[in-house]
Amino acid sequence: MKFKWAWVWIILGIVYFFLPLVATINFSLKAERGRYSFRAYQIVLQDPQFISSFTLSIQIALLTIVFSLLLIVPTVYWAHLRLPQVRPILEFIAFLPFVLPAVVLVFGLIRIYSGPPFALFNRAWGTNLIMVGAYMALALPYMYRSVDTGLRAIDVRTLTEAAQSLGASWPVILWRVIFPNLRTALLSGAFLTFAIVIGEYTIAAFLGRFTFGPYLALLVRNRAYEPAALSILSFAITWSIMGLIQWLTYRAPGSTQVAAGPR
Amino acid sequence: MPFLEIEHLHKQFGTLNAVADFNLQMHKGEFVSLLGSSGCGKTTALRMIAGFEAPTGGIIRLNGRDVSRVPANRRHIGMVFQSYALFPNMNVADNIGFGLKIKGQPAAAIQAKVHELLALIQLPDKGRSYPYQLSGGQQQRVALARALAIEPQVLLLDEPLSALDAKTRVELRQEIRDIQKKLNMTTIYVTHDQEEAMSLSDRVVVMNKGVIEQIGTPFAIYNYPKTAFTASFVGQLNVLPVTVTDGAAGECRFYDQPLKLKEAFAAANQSTATIALRPEELRLGQQDGHNHLTGIVENNTFLGAIIRLRLRVEQTTLLADLFNERQMVIPRDGETITINFPPHACWILDNQLN
Repeated sequence: MKFKWAWVWIILGIVYFFLPLVATINFSLKAERGRYSFRAYQIVLQDPQFISSFTLSIQIALLTIVFSLLLIVPTVYWAHLRLPQVRPILEFIAFLPFVLPAVVLVFGLIRIYSGPPFALFNRAWGTNLIMVGAYMALALPYMYRSVDTGLRAIDVRTLTEAAQSLGASWPVILWRVIFPNLRTALLSGAFLTFAIVIGEYTIAAFLGRFTFGPYLALLVRNRAYEPAALSILSFAITWSIMGLIQWLTYRAPGSTQVAAGPR
Repeated sequence: MPFLEIEHLHKQFGTLNAVADFNLQMHKGEFVSLLGSSGCGKTTALRMIAGFEAPTGGIIRLNGRDVSRVPANRRHIGMVFQSYALFPNMNVADNIGFGLKIKGQPAAAIQAKVHELLALIQLPDKGRSYPYQLSGGQQQRVALARALAIEPQVLLLDEPLSALDAKTRVELRQEIRDIQKKLNMTTIYVTHDQEEAMSLSDRVVVMNKGVIEQIGTPFAIYNYPKTAFTASFVGQLNVLPVTVTDGAAGECRFYDQPLKLKEAFAAANQSTATIALRPEELRLGQQDGHNHLTGIVENNTFLGAIIRLRLRVEQTTLLADLFNERQMVIPRDGETITINFPPHACWILDNQLN
């Protein structure tokens, strides 16, 4: 009896998650009257605005990932190694973005950076820089969690000391020992950050940068089939990145035994 | 001149004296063990020598140079950890070659050294394996090779065999000693296992509550313990409460059984004292000129080469380790037997043991 109900719930779940997806795919293929075609996809992919906005989003996402990693990995590593008492504080800070709406964040940024002494909005690079900073804050909880989990899984202190006794300096330890052993954690953190930045609308819209989020919003307002095609495209991109992470994780050497502990 | 000199080394964590007034001199190629129970400060002392902990006070001199404030990565001291600490992302060859790569040695030289060390640790064909593909014993061998690759001035081992099974432990400890002798490597070995410390070391440092109790050869530590702690910590020990009858002549009474010792009692006649006796000094039966005790066998344990008897004499339990012989008749539980031991086998403990 129990078993039967389990199946009912599973099927309901599948329907709930996949029906909209199937419907969207179906709709996105109906741009031409009376037959299925990839017309909507063609239009989207040939749209210069799509290409420019998507490229900008990717650039900003990559910068956000690089700066987040440079900030978070050494900080959390040091907290694990030498300052375990500050870990609860870091955790608290890392979760603050959850309670801070993007709208509030962006208005704060505009207030501070639109006039002297930090008049950064006068230039495109200045605005991009502020966007990267804002996205770093938005992605902080995800990135922090990934790095923290990754560091918990390895014996940070002993690995560090082993490397030190072999003559390694701090940058060498981070680059050759810590980063490679956090590969999976860093990839998942980077992926989440990427997903957040690619889909972000509020901050980009208020800062007046035409990234992928505002482009999608514009498209939804003006077109019928193309937004559906674009949604399916984002799905495909997301899922391929997830698959890529799985694949990299699976073939990472030593990944089946993350901790170098006794057994 | 000693190769490694440690003078008045001291480490304080808050109000806790983890290590106090630690003094040790080692010559080149010597193997010294730090022996003590957990929390005795042996690992803290080792970590200060390695440079992982900053001493609160004292000097560590290596080859005549004060290294107390030199960072760990510039001390040129090799370290082997209990948890192996191999880099999981690197294969065995890369692990061993890591220190040389950091030094910027040419690839060919690194390869040659790795090859040589893999042969030394008897894993010549494991260079391409990853740590997770190796057994614990193999991983610890690789960790040893990695530490030796940089040709350190001193090799430190922090309970390297604790995580291994008994058989591997005995095999590997002999290998460690062989390699150490072959390379004439100055080595400090931290352990809580007295058998390990005894069998490996030129000298043993017994530690208790952050303080050195005694430094000496395994023979001296075992047979001539200077403190009550050393006597009780190293090996099994029978402790007998006695009443002094003729202190100057070394005569006393254990309950109502008279005993004679080789040394004189400092305590006055009719006062109480404590004497110590190793279980292996006891023999079955009577022998002229020896002390004799009569007691009841509580139980016997057959350990192969040794038969361990637990004997009750009044309120005191004694252990007697008898060598196994094929024609021997093992006393049964509950049987009353007489055992003997020579006068020189006992010594008087300077303070009361618990």
